[in-house]
Amino acid sequence: MRPMANFPPPDGSTEPHELRDDAGGPPSGTELSDLELVRRAQKGERGAFDLLVLRYQHKVVKLVARLLRDPAEAEDVAQEAFVKAYRALGSFRGDSAFYTWLYRIAVNTARNTMASRQRRPLDYEADLSESEQSVVESRMRHGDTPEAVALTDEIHRTVNDAIEALPEDLRTAIILREIEGLSYEEIAEAMDCPVGTVRSRIFRAREAIDRSLKPLLD
Amino acid sequence: MPQTEPKLESNPMTDQIREQMSALIDGELPRDQVDLLVRRMARDAGLKRAFGNYVLAGEVLRAPGGVLASPGFAARVSVAIGDSDVGELAVPSAPGRATLRWRRPLAATAVAASAALAAVLLVRPDGGQPERFAERSGAPGTLPVVSLPVGGSSPTPGENQRLAGYMVVHGQYATPIGRRTVWTNALAADPGITHVAPETAEAP
Amino acid sequence: MRRGLAAAALSLVACAAPQVHAAAPNAAQWLERMTEALATLNYDGLFTHTAGQQSETMRIVHRVEGGRSMERLVSLDGSGREIVRTAEEVHFYMPDRRVVLVEPRGDEGSLLRALPAPGPELDELYTLAVRKGSKLLGRDVRVLDILPRDVYRYGYRLWLDEETAMPLRSEVVNGEGRAVEAMHFTQLEVRDRIAARELEPAVDATGYQWVRTRKRGEQQPASVGWRPRKVPPGFRLVATRVQVVPGVPMPVQHLIFSDGFASVSVFIEPGQAKGPTPPESTSVGSSNAFSTQVRGHVVTAIGEVPATTVRELATSVVPVEELATPAVPAPDRPDR
Repeated sequence: MRPMANFPPPDGSTEPHELRDDAGGPPSGTELSDLELVRRAQKGERGAFDLLVLRYQHKVVKLVARLLRDPAEAEDVAQEAFVKAYRALGSFRGDSAFYTWLYRIAVNTARNTMASRQRRPLDYEADLSESEQSVVESRMRHGDTPEAVALTDEIHRTVNDAIEALPEDLRTAIILREIEGLSYEEIAEAMDCPVGTVRSRIFRAREAIDRSLKPLLD
Repeated sequence: MPQTEPKLESNPMTDQIREQMSALIDGELPRDQVDLLVRRMARDAGLKRAFGNYVLAGEVLRAPGGVLASPGFAARVSVAIGDSDVGELAVPSAPGRATLRWRRPLAATAVAASAALAAVLLVRPDGGQPERFAERSGAPGTLPVVSLPVGGSSPTPGENQRLAGYMVVHGQYATPIGRRTVWTNALAADPGITHVAPETAEAP
Repeated sequence: MRRGLAAAALSLVACAAPQVHAAAPNAAQWLERMTEALATLNYDGLFTHTAGQQSETMRIVHRVEGGRSMERLVSLDGSGREIVRTAEEVHFYMPDRRVVLVEPRGDEGSLLRALPAPGPELDELYTLAVRKGSKLLGRDVRVLDILPRDVYRYGYRLWLDEETAMPLRSEVVNGEGRAVEAMHFTQLEVRDRIAARELEPAVDATGYQWVRTRKRGEQQPASVGWRPRKVPPGFRLVATRVQVVPGVPMPVQHLIFSDGFASVSVFIEPGQAKGPTPPESTSVGSSNAFSTQVRGHVVTAIGEVPATTVRELATSVVPVEELATPAVPAPDRPDR
């Protein structure tokens, strides 16, 4: 007795690969280290989850800002997505990359926020009590005050200046890593030097950038 | 045009830790070193800040002029998640921004939390069938209108473990489609965040 | 397996409604076919569930073996919660609370015995109709309407796959025909077999608090000492149960009401020591609950029915001794 064929999925689904905003996505080294952090976070180490937030905050805020009509809400929605991810962490098994899972939560959170902003054609029963009807009506504007915009611009300028000022070997190393997404091994091959040197160069490049950002962000 | 780098004034130990952070970002830190590093970073705001800047460097490189999370974002997420059984959390605000209050879900009482649990004893007076009742009680017709005051902010079942447990029990006694509906709702209930409109928008 | 089931379905149809034209199953028959499909087929699917303004993706896996139906329902991008029903128990994993609720299965006996057959009363309470629909997921569908005739119940609009009667899309609708919640499969596989490992939860529950029920087989002679004074139209009390809660001296009593299609549970537990709590009404999608204090107990009615119905039921149950006396309106209720 032959099994029934799969029903084909409909089009229009928001799968991560349709909406990825950065070329290539995280390489497998990062995926593994994400998994390490997730495992620790699942065991209760909050610090590990904080690192994941630090790592993906910009990606998620950027993603959400593109999906929402009002990008000023992006940080509130992104925050909600991270909190949801934290609460649901127990169910993440590692079948997909952490960022793929986080991405889907962020898209879902943004979608729900959009849905709550306008009435849909299918008018759902208004049988709910008042408190449940009110989704967050945020008055916060994180991203679009003049000060915030100016700060973002300045961050970009500062980082770019710092990179330009780097010695060539440090600049090459960090560009191959961050833009090309090469592993240390691959960079070592490209630059014809040991892996340890690659690691050190990337570190020193980041240190230089960190130093230049200190007066701006402290 | 090679330039000399300014000397770092930090000690070698800190350097080593920070270099480990850099490797962690790239997924190139050996597994056995991750534990210690994570714990060190959890205690040290300076390390976290540096980690954040390392990540920032990559973002700026990849997307010049693009959207970035604001400097306090990660800290706000941490606060929002934070294990507090205080009623309300005031989120730290920055210049020009109103304060948003996140209200934590009400803690279930001991009875409420445990009510969904423990032994389920089916009453079986006649070998296998639950008690069944043939007649309806009361006369058919319109029911008297009962107006009762409803409590203020009601917790959703998602926040109330007792109700979630009841939904699971109830689902067992529904038709297959009814069970799927009830259980889907038990899963879908928002797990913890109650959104309330800010009561006051405080100027910083 | 499918062929065998199809034969069984046909024979059920033949027995239940002999006067129906054999060529076109009517709405009631489609309802039976669907109920049977949900209970007896092996399937694995992804669906989007929408209620109010929220939507999320879920997976359902349903497996039948040895005459028992088992299933796993998991929220993929929302709470991460899961319900897993195995042959013996139901596990409710809540990663957001780091708790697993465990209770033994309530149903006994064969699958088909557990399936309610829609009786003639169903027509009094619901309008049933079936028509051809446009294709879904590339499949031919029938649209089955089970629309409520009054405000005390919800109905369904179901898009059933013509071949298997599986609901590819469904909406819970209110008395005005408006959808209260909806779900639609984005992917569905109906298979000969589902591996047991597909029912394993994704949640790693180490370190969670496991809240277990007592083993089955421990019987206590107890009866439910509460009855409703009045029930909403169409509903009647069909079963009673008792739950024993650790640390609470009195058992939690459970009344099950049904109108033949929808069901409502009423739980009665001892009240709080600290004093009366205000009545409260909560809802998630089409599931409504109403909680109130009666005679020092907390009564909670919960079901896939409108808020009106759970409120009426919760406020109508009283200790059974009170039913024996002639109905005297309580001081706080209006005279009828």
